[in-house]
Amino acid sequence: MRTRICWWFVRTAARLLDEPERDVVHGDLVECNVGPGRALGEVIGLVLRRQAALWFDWRPWLTVLSVVIPIGLLLSHVSRWWGETTALNVARYSTVWDFRYLGYPGWRADLVRYAVISGMGFLALIGWSWTSGFVLARLSRQTLWLTATMLFVIVFVGTLGTLTTAHSHTAMAGRQHFIVFIAFPRLVRACFVMLPAVWGAYRGARGSSLPLVPTTVAVLLLASATALYSHGLEGSIVFGRGAIPADAGPDGFVVSADDPRPLWFLSLVVMWPAAYVLAAAASERWRERAIVAR
Amino acid sequence: MQLGEFEYLMLTAVARLGDGAYGVAIRRAIEDATGRACSLGALYTTLDRLETKGLVKTAMGDPTPQRGGRPKRMVRLTPKGSQAASDFYHAVIRVSRGVAWAVNT
Repeated sequence: MRTRICWWFVRTAARLLDEPERDVVHGDLVECNVGPGRALGEVIGLVLRRQAALWFDWRPWLTVLSVVIPIGLLLSHVSRWWGETTALNVARYSTVWDFRYLGYPGWRADLVRYAVISGMGFLALIGWSWTSGFVLARLSRQTLWLTATMLFVIVFVGTLGTLTTAHSHTAMAGRQHFIVFIAFPRLVRACFVMLPAVWGAYRGARGSSLPLVPTTVAVLLLASATALYSHGLEGSIVFGRGAIPADAGPDGFVVSADDPRPLWFLSLVVMWPAAYVLAAAASERWRERAIVAR
Repeated sequence: MQLGEFEYLMLTAVARLGDGAYGVAIRRAIEDATGRACSLGALYTTLDRLETKGLVKTAMGDPTPQRGGRPKRMVRLTPKGSQAASDFYHAVIRVSRGVAWAVNT
């Protein structure tokens, strides 16, 4: 049993090698008749050397410095903030909910507005995550397993030791506190950040070209969602880290239209992978046209 | 062409093995000569480096039954590799003249 598990690890580790080299290494191990423990050591040693060599290139570093760290932290904060506020609103609505309220135009308008804002927020999360995964795979496919792991670790631990306004203004206890502040934000991260990022990475790693028109439409939709959601994005960082003190404008409310917005550039940070996706789709289209023209 | 000690050992093993030079054979030759273990990682990363420098050429061989139907990575010394190994060897001989452990040359 232990031997079989060990060989499974050998085969799994060897998958990080290029296919021709993987075959050669498997052949060498069979010919040398080595035990599973030594085989595992040999394969891991080779994989580590190969992976280390990849980091002499600039591309993995670009993915870490431009996607993994900045966008990972942003996604961590914004997904936590969005998860908490959505769970809080659902909890509040559910405690006072009565279907007769739907007869009031004001309630209906509120509900529709909230549904649209939530939808755009989750759409933005999915879009930012998908495009980030795509960029990780396209820029440095061979280091994808490591950069993607780093991204997910940052997304899940990036908010440790920080609070949101939702947290600081709400007193909850027991199971409801667990659901609103722990379980739901993690669920949001898993479903609206991690899965789309894996999907984007898979699409990027496949290497096939993206259709230009649908990609353009999707990027424009994401840009719209980002513009609508930019206050939420900035607010999640302001309160999450406390890096910039909350500065209410003339209306006395923080994060409203008249507030100073020193973090406006965060929208550009999360949108750059989308710009890359669009540029990749356009260049692939032009290349295909050039080949057809020849 | 600057060579490291391990690179020289590998070039020499490839030259000695001739047409039979491939991963496992080179590894055995180095281990027999030095008495030290040679890992697959060290072997194949050094082989890649030598190939990048143009000192060896590698190609996939045919699959064999004793390797579970998997191919060998066959290695051949290039004239440039032969020259680099020769230069390294003569440098070692020159620097070793007169020292206690050197065989009279």
